[in-house]
Amino acid sequence: MAIRISIFLLVGWILGAYNPVYGQNPLTRPLDFTCTSCTPAEALVALSRQTTVNIVFSNRFFENCPPVDISVRQQTLQAILEQIGACAKVSFRLVDNQIVFTRRTERFTLSGFARDAETGERLIGVSIYLNGTARNAISTNEYGFFSVPLEPGAYTLVGRYIGYQPLVLPLDLSKDMLLTLSLVPDAALPEVIIKAPSIRKQGTRDRESQHNLPLADMFKLPMPGGEADLLRLAALQPGVQSGVDGLGGLHVRGGNADQNLILLDDVPVYNPNHALGLLSVFNPATVNNARLWKGDFPARYSGRASSVLDIRTRDGHFREYHGDVSVGLFATSVTLEGPLVRDTSSLLISTRATYFGPWIDFFSRRDNLLTISGDNVGYRFYDVNVKWNYIFSPKNRLYFSFYRGGDVFQNQFEQRFDDPEGLFTDTYGLASEWGNSIAALRWNHLLRKNLFTNTTIRFSRFFYQSQLTLLSTFLSSSGKESLLANYGQFYQTLIQDWSAKTDFSYFPSERLTLRWGISYTLHTFQPGALSVNFLVPGQSPITVDSLSKALLNNERLLADEADAYIDAEWRFAKKWSLAAGLNTTVFQIRNSNYGALQPRIRLQRNTESGWSQWLGFHRTAQNLHQIGSFNISLPFELWVPSTAKVPSEKAWQSAMGLGWTGQGWRLQVEGYYKKLDRVLTFLSSNSAIFAGGAEDASGWEDRVAAGEGQGYGLEVTLEKSFSSTLFTTNYTWSKAERRFPDLNSGRPFPFRFDRRHDLKITVQQRLAPWLDASAIWAFATGNPITLAGVKFQHHSPNGDIERTVYAYTEVNGFRLPNYHRLDISMQAHFGNDQVRHAIQLGVYNAYNRANPFFLYVDSGSGTNAKAIQYTLLPLLPVFRYEIKF
Amino acid sequence: MQSTKATLLLLGLGLLAVRCVREASIDLPELPTRIVAISHFLPGQPVQVEVSLSQTLTDAGDPDIPANADVSISVEGIFLDKLYKVTNGTDGRIYWESRDTVKAGVKYALSVRITGYDEVEAVSAAPEPVVLGAVSIDTANMRLVPLSDGKLALRVPLEIRPASLPANGRYFAFGLQHEIEVFELVNGQPVPDEYYQASTKFLADGRTLSLVYDTPEKVVLVNENLWNGNNEVLTLDALIPFNPENERPRHLYLEWRTLSEEFYRYHLSLARQGNNLPLNDPDALYNNIQGGYGNFSGYSFIIDTLSIPNPF
Repeated sequence: MAIRISIFLLVGWILGAYNPVYGQNPLTRPLDFTCTSCTPAEALVALSRQTTVNIVFSNRFFENCPPVDISVRQQTLQAILEQIGACAKVSFRLVDNQIVFTRRTERFTLSGFARDAETGERLIGVSIYLNGTARNAISTNEYGFFSVPLEPGAYTLVGRYIGYQPLVLPLDLSKDMLLTLSLVPDAALPEVIIKAPSIRKQGTRDRESQHNLPLADMFKLPMPGGEADLLRLAALQPGVQSGVDGLGGLHVRGGNADQNLILLDDVPVYNPNHALGLLSVFNPATVNNARLWKGDFPARYSGRASSVLDIRTRDGHFREYHGDVSVGLFATSVTLEGPLVRDTSSLLISTRATYFGPWIDFFSRRDNLLTISGDNVGYRFYDVNVKWNYIFSPKNRLYFSFYRGGDVFQNQFEQRFDDPEGLFTDTYGLASEWGNSIAALRWNHLLRKNLFTNTTIRFSRFFYQSQLTLLSTFLSSSGKESLLANYGQFYQTLIQDWSAKTDFSYFPSERLTLRWGISYTLHTFQPGALSVNFLVPGQSPITVDSLSKALLNNERLLADEADAYIDAEWRFAKKWSLAAGLNTTVFQIRNSNYGALQPRIRLQRNTESGWSQWLGFHRTAQNLHQIGSFNISLPFELWVPSTAKVPSEKAWQSAMGLGWTGQGWRLQVEGYYKKLDRVLTFLSSNSAIFAGGAEDASGWEDRVAAGEGQGYGLEVTLEKSFSSTLFTTNYTWSKAERRFPDLNSGRPFPFRFDRRHDLKITVQQRLAPWLDASAIWAFATGNPITLAGVKFQHHSPNGDIERTVYAYTEVNGFRLPNYHRLDISMQAHFGNDQVRHAIQLGVYNAYNRANPFFLYVDSGSGTNAKAIQYTLLPLLPVFRYEIKF
Repeated sequence: MQSTKATLLLLGLGLLAVRCVREASIDLPELPTRIVAISHFLPGQPVQVEVSLSQTLTDAGDPDIPANADVSISVEGIFLDKLYKVTNGTDGRIYWESRDTVKAGVKYALSVRITGYDEVEAVSAAPEPVVLGAVSIDTANMRLVPLSDGKLALRVPLEIRPASLPANGRYFAFGLQHEIEVFELVNGQPVPDEYYQASTKFLADGRTLSLVYDTPEKVVLVNENLWNGNNEVLTLDALIPFNPENERPRHLYLEWRTLSEEFYRYHLSLARQGNNLPLNDPDALYNNIQGGYGNFSGYSFIIDTLSIPNPF
């Protein structure tokens, strides 16, 4: 090891000279000094002798400096030293009353983008290690960018990403470098094998990348109909609950479904489901990366109280034209991608459409459920994704993302009533349509070598509309037909956002990353507008009464929301890191303002032995609320803003956990406590259920009840990877409850998705290089529901009004039977470099467990009254064929 | 029937492409049979209590009315009256009635004992009535709506303003009835022949309609939130159908009830029951009958009579 300091002068102390200024700062002392044709070393020695202040330096610092003449009067020692050292890259400081010269540290910035070597796709969350410093890995941001300042020298950069070969890149850093890290997809090796070590390496260490969902699993694990689905993948994570068989939305750590911020290319998605949750709106062929934050999300995310699901779509191939066709039992998707300008611009277009029609016909005939009477039932959904991007320069890139998806449901049926005088015929028709439209224009700009900016203009819209018609006719026995009634009811609700935001990412040192940004959103709400048209005016006072609901709530509400945030990630010690941030939000509607300061903090300790511990505290606020009155998330549930009468929701959550990775194992244990303040519910009249979702939202502010909620639990993840097997267990013990002064007589009651135990076990096995097998076994405590235990009759005083009263003694006081099911599938993949095929075959709910969706107590007339259990998904085949070319 | 169809329709939406219905043997929350006591009492009237036994949900028969029940009321722990059993000669309704009449503001305690069942108790009072400051008809905006059967409906804009809204416990209900004069034309002049009364439907703005609820009491419950935001007026349009050839709307009768909290909470929870519909999210039933079910609550009322101007 080179000895850097060759001369060490202790002039003053060796001579034992008296230092008259001891206790003062010698650097500020004025003095006269003269030295002719002195080298800097000679000048420093002379200066040390004159001032009796020790000066520590190395001759090598001044090897290239010529002799100088110095003659100064009454200048400070600091000024003289600066003059002497001006010829070299040195700096000095006062340490223990000695002046110590050091070589001025020169740092260069290593920055760049990570991308797929074949497609040019930027890769999010790539872990980058330098010289094997695994503990201090950095990861690429949402646009594949990274930056780290380093001292000059030789480095070995290693980039790791799930499903890609590790990239090893020797570097000689002698200047600022802007790299493009091209990671090669590892098609030759089983992804099962790759995945496990990658996760182990990342483990719980890298805060950003640890939340990545393993997207490869989405295509391997058995899912209903063989339809790979992102939300079902998310629901396999600990702490994430969904309704029965995936319906009812995601509920993270006891939070409501509307408390999840779901972002598609940084744009909020207000209705993430098709077919009430059977499938999500996210076409898997377009998803590049998805991160799920269950509460410890950074300050750059705001607006929702419970969780964040940040989904980024693929950019499209930059060099070649490719296609992907996936055919499942429920839907088919077609994706085309390719360069518009090679290595500069790419375009990806993907569409997906369903064919539920044959299924509906099949089950209608089988169970006579959907066949009501002369019915004409139809349902379909569709998605269109477009992604375009253009690289103007290494420092500038433009993205445009567009998504449009919708669901269409229609039904028509007749009722006929024979009468001695003729035949009454009522023809009902329902046509409902709902969907999301989003768009985002983003500009990435590398402002400086370590300062990355992204500016986005966003649009998001969700609407629901339904039209209910009734045509009532009478055919007399004489053959004369007359029109009795003909009216239509139209209902619509929507939420729409226009917003702009700018984010900055700054990497001042390898230990510190700063992010900050601002955003503004203009929200438009239409809580629910109902109109009724009578083609034959007024039949009776009853129909006149119905007219009262015509166009009574057609108001549109506008709200402004502004956000500012700062996030810092600081590795302040060898094993310790701190992630802290603050988000401030101002929400304005009418003349009401809601402000919220939302601190986020997380302290983490990583050790070389593979252990991690962390502790976090997070505060969140929410001013957009989805309110409804049903046990599942339905598209016609209303999005409403906070107003003077409807308060802003607040939540805070604390969590602590520990993790260990090593020897093929990964263990993560995390406990949390979440408190929800002013969580909302809608005191509905349930009339919407009769009107195709039309809920007259008039007076909605006075029909919203605010309450509180809490959730706590313990989540355990245990993962073991063998040479060709990956075994994962996710278990959650949790409790979630709500309390509303206006409900359940003010007593607390279980949250509708409260489940004490939730267990998900997945096994992925590579049977042969071309054949994989996978299985899921899921178990969950039954959902709580509200059931009446007894009933009685209530008569009006004169006895002419009688009502059956159902004595619901406790809200959600009864639990459905436990939920469990087994899914099994096998996937074969074969082909060549030009064309690759994959076939997945399997069964969902292999042992045909009749998991209860809900119970309906049929207390109708007769002696055959009974409880009917409704089951959603019985044993279903899993089939998917995919071809990539 | 329409409700059932619509429910099935929604189920169809939710249960797409799947086999859905499966009858299963489920352990329902069978609760023991308990005494049901229902009584809404008002000042100046005796207390009438309907007593029955609760039924399981799968019991499709009529509720059991006990032959013998010991029903009594007391005030501040002092026995006041033992109620006697009455069978209404008109409709066969059976209830227990007190000899004394109710005084406003007095808290009455009910006790019902039936051999073999837990005793039930409840407490409530009939509040002093909150009088109406003004009930007025906006005659300038009265109008006639033609109905397809040849009749007309008279829309009568009403403003109902309580004299002084209490700071808390704004528990009210109201009922509307109208009186129609049936006349004959004698020498071209209408001569009153008879009068009849009927329940009056009404229209209102969407907010008001969403904050009033039908009850089994022939009155409409007013959500206390209606009075939020310094709102002191209930505005609605009474709808009075009549045959213009031989009928004239003459009077409107407004029954204005001031409710005890027990009355209000019970009927509000009934409104949020959801009628045992699947997928709904019902509220728990408000129950102030300790040891049983039902409701024991007081109210007071006043009736305001309004003359309806000639619509022609």
